[in-house]
Amino acid sequence: MKKGKKFLVVVFLTLIACAFLLNACAKKEEEKEGVVYKLGLSLAITGPTSDAGNPYSKGVEDYFNYVNDTKMLGNDTIECIIKDDQYKTDITKRNFEDFLSNGIVLYLNYSTGSTLALKKDFDEEKIPTIPASFHAGNLVDSSYIFLPIASYSEQTVGLAEYVVNNHQGDMAKVAMFIHPSAFGRGPVEDLQKAVEAGLKMDIIEVVEHGKDLDNTAMLQRLLSKNVQYVICHTVQSPVATLLTDAERLGIAAKSFGESGKLTFLGVHYTGGNDLIALAGAASESFLWTTSYVLTSEPGKWTDKQLDLAKKYNRDDKTANSHNYTNGIMVAQVAAEVILRAKDKGLEITRDNLYKELLAMNGGNAFEPGSTVGPVTYSETDRAGVDQLQLYVVKDGVFTAVGSTFQSEYIKKIK
Amino acid sequence: MTYFFQLVVSGIVVGSIYALSALGFVLIYKSSRVLNIAHGQIIAAGAFITYALTVWAGIPIYISFVLSMIITFFLAMSVERIFLRRLIGEPIISVIMVTIGLMSILDGLIYLTPFGAENFSFPKFLPNTPILFGGVSISWTQLVGVIITILMIIGFSWFFKKSTMGISMRAVSDDQLASMSVGISVPKVFGLAWATAGLSAAAAGTILGNITGLNFDTLHAFGIIVFPVVILGGLDSVLGAVVAGIIMGLIQQFAKGYLDGNFGLYGTGQVLPYIILLVILLFKPHGLFGIHEIERV
Amino acid sequence: MSANRWLATGNFFSTYQEEQRIFFTHSDRTIFSIFLVLIFVWPILFPLSNKYMLVIDNTLIAIIAIIGLNLLTGFAGLISIGHAAFVGIGAYTIASFCTLIGEDHMLITHAWPLLILISGGVGAFFGAIVGLPAMRLKHLYLAIATLSFQMIFIWTIQFMDFFNQGQTISVGRVYWIFGKVSRDQHYLFWYYAILVFIVVLGFMVRNLLRTKYGRCLTAVRDNDRAADAMGMHPGFTKVYAFGLAGFMAGIAGALHAYLYRGVGFESFTLNESITYLAMAIVGGLGTLPGSFLGPAAIKALDLLVEYFAANVASLMPSSQDVATGLRPLVFGLVIVLFLMFEPRGIANWWRIVRSYFKLWPFRY
Repeated sequence: MKKGKKFLVVVFLTLIACAFLLNACAKKEEEKEGVVYKLGLSLAITGPTSDAGNPYSKGVEDYFNYVNDTKMLGNDTIECIIKDDQYKTDITKRNFEDFLSNGIVLYLNYSTGSTLALKKDFDEEKIPTIPASFHAGNLVDSSYIFLPIASYSEQTVGLAEYVVNNHQGDMAKVAMFIHPSAFGRGPVEDLQKAVEAGLKMDIIEVVEHGKDLDNTAMLQRLLSKNVQYVICHTVQSPVATLLTDAERLGIAAKSFGESGKLTFLGVHYTGGNDLIALAGAASESFLWTTSYVLTSEPGKWTDKQLDLAKKYNRDDKTANSHNYTNGIMVAQVAAEVILRAKDKGLEITRDNLYKELLAMNGGNAFEPGSTVGPVTYSETDRAGVDQLQLYVVKDGVFTAVGSTFQSEYIKKIK
Repeated sequence: MTYFFQLVVSGIVVGSIYALSALGFVLIYKSSRVLNIAHGQIIAAGAFITYALTVWAGIPIYISFVLSMIITFFLAMSVERIFLRRLIGEPIISVIMVTIGLMSILDGLIYLTPFGAENFSFPKFLPNTPILFGGVSISWTQLVGVIITILMIIGFSWFFKKSTMGISMRAVSDDQLASMSVGISVPKVFGLAWATAGLSAAAAGTILGNITGLNFDTLHAFGIIVFPVVILGGLDSVLGAVVAGIIMGLIQQFAKGYLDGNFGLYGTGQVLPYIILLVILLFKPHGLFGIHEIERV
Repeated sequence: MSANRWLATGNFFSTYQEEQRIFFTHSDRTIFSIFLVLIFVWPILFPLSNKYMLVIDNTLIAIIAIIGLNLLTGFAGLISIGHAAFVGIGAYTIASFCTLIGEDHMLITHAWPLLILISGGVGAFFGAIVGLPAMRLKHLYLAIATLSFQMIFIWTIQFMDFFNQGQTISVGRVYWIFGKVSRDQHYLFWYYAILVFIVVLGFMVRNLLRTKYGRCLTAVRDNDRAADAMGMHPGFTKVYAFGLAGFMAGIAGALHAYLYRGVGFESFTLNESITYLAMAIVGGLGTLPGSFLGPAAIKALDLLVEYFAANVASLMPSSQDVATGLRPLVFGLVIVLFLMFEPRGIANWWRIVRSYFKLWPFRY
């Protein structure tokens, strides 16, 4: 054997040896008392959208650690297996099968693509699933998927209603700026339905963005068609480019509805501190809606979240990320249903957790604190928090505008 | 008409960044016939180094920009030394695959830093107000970006025309054996080609990062979009890379300005470069300025 | 021909026919038959969890795709950075049928072997079309042409309503002689189905390679002018190589659609194309055993690194970033190390082991 080949073989063997050694070390954990409830989470910690997935996974991890450390479930503990799927559906499926053979009782998923692809598996396995995707299509032909907060469609229609209510002059002219995928296209149809149902606005154009460096052409076109509002539904990075371009062209409205200029509004994944980090000053007066409480708004939850982040040594960026809140909230819901089932003396099974989730309404609604309203689920409503809060960027931070609201038209078009 | 001129201006801005990115790619190909698929990762690395120096080390951006180019210069040189030097004379596919492996390695290394998953933006150091000439606007960041690009291209042309090192690089790309016989060290030239490519990549990355913000996905996608540009310009022509970069920027902007939204089409700006690429490959594979070395089968 | 039909310690060929035999000795044939029986029997004796069964099925599908890619890149010397798009064409053929006639139509659930073959045909058709530039282009230029095909394919899928704009199009559960394949049997069933395809295709390719049509691929790779002078048509041969690769990829894609019971664009991106190339190289270009060893090695490596990363993460809490960053890092290192130290791939190790045993125990 040549020297090189020997080297290669040695590298391989070392790698395998390391894996086994590490495995041996990792298994030396002390045996815990009480029952271990297993959950699974598969998400994009690396790869596309990892800027959201990364803090999300930390939120889930920290909250379950918190549940175990504070003995919220007595001697019982929750073990949540977190696996990276690099935003690839094939790997998500593999992780899901792995979780199933580990005997998980509740599954946490991430992307819209994989949620749609595994929808049938969730139904066949009868496993309650909470995805990080709020795509309304997740709920179609499926009964085991629970959205944490209002769907993208609901948020979009809610924003449109806000536009209509606050617009001065005749018909509001609106354009949509969306992600070129199932995730982005979902709400378009629902908004069109809302307009047919009587929402007084014109949808002038629906723009699907690519990896654009410059949006000048598109922005000028929208302006020439007298568009005044742009509702964005995508991830932060393209919105940041859009905002900087609008600022450069001097066509970004400084206040809501300024005539002859464009006012930008966005749905959950467009906003957050990452947007401000990317767009800088251009993000000023961008309007954003979500159901989460932000750490930039002082209050009880802000302190709690920052303490939690501190306890588990998270940096400031993670601690203040709304995706971290998002992860915590999903974990809160999962821990809550387990707690409720346990309190009733039920065995913790998929079926019982599913029933507990469905019973989470009326007097049983859950107030996690991390959201602006209670989490409610029922047979007919499998979107959690229905309340939405509008935020606007002021001096480089998102600040709340008015009180919480709910979309009216989304009920009419259902 | 203002609309048209606005499109032209944005096309030139985008195009000059393409040109700068393609420049590094062409440099490597011209001297060593290696297709560097990891170019996007080097662009991203350059941008991240500038950011780290500016924000974390607190160096003024003008200096950190130059420093980052120097660091990337040596980084790319060592990449050549470690990974590609051994493969001189191996089949093309091995060399392409090494750059693919390199791409994966750089990905992994970048994921080990905060840049892999988080978003950043450069501190604003230029005025926010756009410059207007009769309705056509351009931001200071873009203007400075274009000026730097033009300066770098002029610098590179001078380097190739006048300096001894540049002339020996051209000699190697012409005929390796002949240049060896007159005492040019071919491996050294390869190293230098990678190094200069790294330098231009860092410049491209920093300008790009100032315009779009620092997001790893957006930045490394640039490694693929340079393919249509270099094919249009001719794989081994520096002038071609520049001209084709600007043409491609203009085509993309015009497609977005006039095709998108009409005829039910969207995202044409993204796919058009590849369609042009296929057409060029079929009818004029050596591109606009490339050397006619394609043999017919 | 050696006197002993069971053992042959050297080269005893006296005719070309003998040299082209698939099995040189009886022991080769016996070992192969035993191996074949074993791979069909083991899942019944040692049932694996669904996760590993899925990984194995996936590896087998990759093997079919790599047999195609290896014919194209290894034997015919044409680099393709768009193989995942050909696999995608196979998968989207099934998806188109599902959109047109409904996912639970008899044709899809009962006549699936036929549909898989049709997908192969469609793949071959597109392969040949994409191969047309090969009439004029060589080397790098051709590689870039396949890259642009990859990009155009993804754009088409994402922007066409017919393909559900890249969203998952689901595919129904299939039936076979004992009725509907249930969720429990799903992965096992497809293990056997894919295995049958592999064995048939494997023998087909092995036979192809010893005929005129197989040898002309290698001839064109080594020297196209000489091949031209020998009366082969290099341009046509290249298009035909693309067609063959497209056929294999189409079948792999159709199997992928059935195995995952859905088709979405994420499985057919540029990244996957690159992974396929890596599999072909690690396995060994221009060898048939390499097409089997490469995918197995890369998939095993992927699992190993994942396992390794997970353990690192559990040892060092809140270092998840480090652990996940290791994955692409190790993947890249393996490819680069192979190219630098063993450019002939794992198939070369296989060859060394075999020649060791050929003379064993008298190695001098």
